[in-house]
Amino acid sequence: MTTTWIIVDEPGVAGLLDTARNLGRPTAAVVVGPHELAASTATAGVDRCLWLGETGDAPVEAFATAVAAVVADGAPGVVLAAARPSARALVGAVAATLRAPAMVGAVGVETDGDTVLVEREVLGGIARRTERCDGPVCLVVDGGGVPEPGAAVPVEEVTAEALAVRVVENRPSSAPQVDLAGARRVVAVGRGLKAKEDLALVDRLAEAMGAAVACSRPVAEGSGFLPKDRYVGVSGRTLTPDVYLALGISGQVQHTVGIRGAGTIVAVNTDADAPFMKECDYAVVGDLYTFVPALAAALQS
Amino acid sequence: MTVVVAHKWAPNPQEATVAPGGTVDLSRAKPAVSEYDPVAIEVGRRLADAWGCELVGVSVGGPEIAAPMARKAALSRGLDRLVVVADERLSGAGATPTAVALAQAVGEVEDVRVVLAGDSSVDEGAHLVPSVLAGLLGWPSLAEVADVTADGGALVVERAQGSGSQVVRVDGPAVLAVAADAAVPRVAGMKDILAAGKKPVVELPLAGELPAQPEVVGRAPVPLAERGRRRIDTTDPDAAARELVAALRADGVL
Ligand SMILES: Cc1cc2nc3c(=O)[nH]c(=O)nc-3n(C[C@H](O)[C@H](O)[C@H](O)COP(=O)(O)OP(=O)(O)OC[C@H]3O[C@@H](n4cnc5c(N)ncnc54)[C@H](O)[C@@H]3O)c2cc1C
Ligand SMILES: Nc1ncnc2c1ncn2[C@@H]1O[C@H](COP(=O)(O)O)[C@@H](O)[C@H]1O
Repeated sequence: MTTTWIIVDEPGVAGLLDTARNLGRPTAAVVVGPHELAASTATAGVDRCLWLGETGDAPVEAFATAVAAVVADGAPGVVLAAARPSARALVGAVAATLRAPAMVGAVGVETDGDTVLVEREVLGGIARRTERCDGPVCLVVDGGGVPEPGAAVPVEEVTAEALAVRVVENRPSSAPQVDLAGARRVVAVGRGLKAKEDLALVDRLAEAMGAAVACSRPVAEGSGFLPKDRYVGVSGRTLTPDVYLALGISGQVQHTVGIRGAGTIVAVNTDADAPFMKECDYAVVGDLYTFVPALAAALQS
Repeated sequence: MTVVVAHKWAPNPQEATVAPGGTVDLSRAKPAVSEYDPVAIEVGRRLADAWGCELVGVSVGGPEIAAPMARKAALSRGLDRLVVVADERLSGAGATPTAVALAQAVGEVEDVRVVLAGDSSVDEGAHLVPSVLAGLLGWPSLAEVADVTADGGALVVERAQGSGSQVVRVDGPAVLAVAADAAVPRVAGMKDILAAGKKPVVELPLAGELPAQPEVVGRAPVPLAERGRRRIDTTDPDAAARELVAALRADGVL
């Protein structure tokens, strides 16, 4: 029987474990990171836990070839990695070594003998497809939170050689961390916002609403008004708040996939034909610059 | 020494139509150089200029990627020359066969110092081809790269890490996926487009077997929540705001 492999490079792997457990196969984790990460992974409900040793000044990506060798040697069926750059570097090397398909967007995975059936959202999330793979398959899925600890299996240390990459300097961000995933209400801004100073307007509304502030991708990457961990969508965050208020966001599919699970969606846009107007509960047609202050005032009264 | 940049010629799914059964019709979506790849080309141009070396584009896909329009669209953005693998079997291919063909193309270029790629492709959007390619080449891969410089034989790479950044040193070649905002791509002018027609293009036949592709056994539309789309007019912004607040309170979300 094949083994379901989980690639662990950070604590947030509960999503991978859920998928793995549903497959009902033996599970094995390969851990790249400090010993503590291996020790906590060993209690996460896996059957085996392999650890590549301390990483020193090598980044996670330096162990791509080593991870691929470990997985290739371990009867892989489904190989799971979290949707993070470092984990993708590892699973990419696994797919290369196995010459196996590598896919994103899985919403359901089933196995039947050595056959794996993957249902997934394709083309940025416009449709679903079920694909049959006869042999191993690598899937990148949402990592999720930190798994609940349970009984431990031993940590098996494997000697690994790192590729020639070294971290020279870390530059942590000074931007305040915002708990977007836990926010019940979210106000998000798009390119309809003209200047960084105008964020004050949005912040006042968010405060009146008790909401966290998120954005579309170009607002974080491009104009840089907000940090990169605040943008929503296929490449960014997936959020499920009770209410999502989108200000000046056109609503292209790469953005809206990130909030399909939201309770109520409000779109504020000067363009009545913007795609978001078709994927919302309330379509407010108008200028955010006049509507946002009015809404903040209405919330306070 | 050569800088290689991988770019995809792909349609934008925003312009696709999806039939009720889930079949996607991309015939009205015009292909173009994939949204973020011009950023990688721009970073590559600057690097090649700084190092005084050649910038070679590599692209793989169906037969349409070898058409003059596709070639010129990429070459006019600053490439010196192009290597393409255009083969029916690569139409709509997944990350692994795509990377296998790209590895073949990269293998034809001499003395490659770095392969640059975009953040993610407009159609697949998997963020995976660069790391599979790196795996095939046995090189390290790094993503969300903001800047690259050379220090002797090493590459010094600045990339996003969590909400901050990190400087990484790579001894030897690497595959680097650049961040969407690593550079502002140039707009090709008439002169660039004319010059592009004269730049060398090598078309390679696909060599060897491609890895097996999964078989599509089912299609479905995305089950979207039914949304009310209630229109709120803002001729009177205050009245509109009160209407929305009342509605959200009635929905129990405020
Ligand atoms: C592979 C790939 C991955 C991507 N991933 C993501 C992702 O994860 N997240 C994401 O968000 N995007 C993503 N994108 C980009 C996405 O395709 C869109 O380009 C982006 O979401 C558009 O952002 P926007 O709506 O803010 O800007 P625009 O599309 O420019 O829209 C601005 C909107 O504001 C409206 N507007 C202008 N002025 C006002 C005003 N005064 N008041 C009210 N409305 C106004 C306009 O009518 C317009 O609808 C991705 C793209 C690709 C190719
Ligand atoms: N068919 C292709 N030809 C050349 N480069 C590609 C191809 N597909 C993907 N890439 C590169 O890999 C990046 C990520 O693509 P993806 O993994 O599909 O999201 C793109 O931005 C391109 O730089």
